[in-house]
Amino acid sequence: MLGVVRSYPVEIGGVRRELPIVKVGEGVAVALLNLLGDTELTEAAARELAKRLPEGTEVLVTPEVKAVPLAHAISVKTGVPYVVARKTAKPYMINPVSREVVSITTGKPQLLVLDGADVERIRGRKVTIVDDVVSTGSTLKGLKELIESVGGEVVGVLAVFTEGDPRDDVIALGHLPLFKPEE
Amino acid sequence: MTALETYPIHVGQVTRHVPLVETLPGMKIPLIEFLGDVELTREAARLLAPKLPEETEYLVTTECSPVPLVHTLAEETDRGYVVARKRRRAYMDDPLIQEVPSLTLGSSETLWLDRRWAERLLNKKVALVSDVVSSGGTMKALEKLVTKAGGHVVARLAVFQQGEPKEDFEVTALYQLPIL
Repeated sequence: MLGVVRSYPVEIGGVRRELPIVKVGEGVAVALLNLLGDTELTEAAARELAKRLPEGTEVLVTPEVKAVPLAHAISVKTGVPYVVARKTAKPYMINPVSREVVSITTGKPQLLVLDGADVERIRGRKVTIVDDVVSTGSTLKGLKELIESVGGEVVGVLAVFTEGDPRDDVIALGHLPLFKPEE
Repeated sequence: MTALETYPIHVGQVTRHVPLVETLPGMKIPLIEFLGDVELTREAARLLAPKLPEETEYLVTTECSPVPLVHTLAEETDRGYVVARKRRRAYMDDPLIQEVPSLTLGSSETLWLDRRWAERLLNKKVALVSDVVSSGGTMKALEKLVTKAGGHVVARLAVFQQGEPKEDFEVTALYQLPIL
C-alpha cells in the first residue's frame, strides 16, 4: 500500500521502533505494538521488566497471545515460572476455571481460562501479571479476579506500555497516547 | 478423582510425564504443553535449530502454543518470525485469510495474517514451525497462506509428529508421538 503511514516512535531498552497508528474502532486509533515476531524488542522489554519484577513474585501470569513471548523471556531471565491464561477453553483441559470479562473498547465479552494444572501453580502463590499493553484495564481486572478466585495473590503488574489514561497500578516502561483516526 | 494417567516424553535431556488424554473412544494421546515450560521450550529450540535450512529467512507459525518455541528458535538462529492468528483482530487491515479444513471436530478454523506481516514474506524463504503436527491440516493451511503472501516454503519443522507421517506432506519432526 502506498501513502504515508502514520507512526509513533518508541524506545525500549535502547531498541527503537516506529509503531504504526491503526484504527481499532469508531473514532479511536492506537499505536500498534506487536511483540509477536519481534524478538529484539521482546528481549529488550523483558530485560527491563525483569529488573522491575516485584519482590517475592513466585509465578507470572499472562493472557494469550501477544504477551506470551514476553512472559517467556522474563521467565528465562528471572527463573520465575509463567502460566498462560487462555482465551478459549480447550477440550483437553482438566478442571479448568474461567471468567468472562467485557472489553470496554469493543463491548464484546471475552473469556479467560486457566487449566486445572495451572490453577495448582497459582494457588497460594504471589503472582505478577505480565501484559504487553494495559489500556482500559478490562483484561487486567478480569485476570486479577480470576487469579484471586483460585487463591493466588496479585503482587504487581508488568507491562511494556500503559495506554490512554495514565495509571499508577501498573509498572510500565512507557506510555502510549490514543489517536484520532485519519479520515 | 482418579489418578491421571501419564506418559513419559523426552526432548533431548528433558523428560516430562505428560497426561494421556482420550481424544476418541479407545484412543489415547500424550498431551504436550510447551506454554509455561521454559526448559522444554529451550531444549526443543536448541534441537530444532540445526534442522533449519541455511537459506531460511523467516519462520512462520500459528498462535498460540508454538509461539514461545518459535520466538526462542528465531532468536537463537537470528531469523524473523511471523504468527498467523486464529481470529481476526480489530487492527487488521486487508488480511490474508485461509480456512483450515477440519478432519474431526467439525468446527473449522480460520487463519488470519495481517497485510503488514504478509508483506514481509514476499519472495522470502520460509520455514513453517509447529510444536505438534498430527493430521497436518493446520500446517497445510499455513503453507497456503504463506504462498498467497508470496513466500516460498523451504522446510516444515515440528518437535513432534503424532500418528503416521503423511506421504504427501512431509514434516521434519524431532520425535514421533505414539497413539495408544
